[in-house]
Amino acid sequence: MDGQLQEDSLDARLRDEAPYLDDAGFTATVVQRLPQKRASSKFRATVLILVTILGSALAYVLSGGGRFIIEGIARIGSLSLLSVGLLALCSALVAMAVAGAAAWSKAR
Amino acid sequence: MELTDADLVARVLLDDDHHAFAELVRRHQSTVRGLLRQLTRTDVALADDLAQETFLRAYKHIRSFRGEARFSTWLYRIAYNCFREDARRRKELVGIDEAKWQAEQDPQTVDPALRHDLMQALQTLPLHERSAVLLCCQNGLSHDEAARVLDIPLGTVKTNVLRGREKLKRALAAWESK
Repeated sequence: MDGQLQEDSLDARLRDEAPYLDDAGFTATVVQRLPQKRASSKFRATVLILVTILGSALAYVLSGGGRFIIEGIARIGSLSLLSVGLLALCSALVAMAVAGAAAWSKAR
Repeated sequence: MELTDADLVARVLLDDDHHAFAELVRRHQSTVRGLLRQLTRTDVALADDLAQETFLRAYKHIRSFRGEARFSTWLYRIAYNCFREDARRRKELVGIDEAKWQAEQDPQTVDPALRHDLMQALQTLPLHERSAVLLCCQNGLSHDEAARVLDIPLGTVKTNVLRGREKLKRALAAWESK
């Protein structure tokens, strides 16, 4: 019991040693050093969607109604099995590199 | 109704709200700066620099706060990491600016001589015991929370608190009999 009392009084003394520190401009200094505000996520999403729609429409018009997609598919169809395999491997490697870079930058 | 820390964090996450973050800084600046002052052996300027760094890091990494622990516990962990990194950079713990520190304390709360002895006793504790005592006894963290802040096992925290307390009690034994 006496030990508990001593313990409590020691903790109380330690807490007394931590009086409230006046802000004295500390918060203002921290806020001043914060990075600039990012554009709001809603605004960013809207801009992204609009740009995507505009880009798609532009590509559709400039490519003569998307004929290039059909031509591209036909060209891939005429490739040998080895070429298609190599193309698929290269695409997978590029995708893995991009994903790895993204994971690394997020982990930093 | 006053917003909770979790509400303010949510506002920062949602709208990058600087006002909400400022409120979090206002609420926790005293305890974070106080802890760092004790860890840096009362080097006020260094402690405040580290406290600023703590809050800037907290802002930068606020997405990693998942609300599993109290916001203050999460802040203490960042503060302790800032302190450790700085100490490692300097390769030695900083000197004492006790006169300046004493001048900023409220002279009414405790007998100045007792305060002096307690401060001296605290500063003689090794860092691992001092950190554990400061977090658990002074800042009211549970042993579990302190273990998370200091990134050491729970049993080690308990041992460090026990040993630190014993040393402080021994150092202040003369005051107990008064």
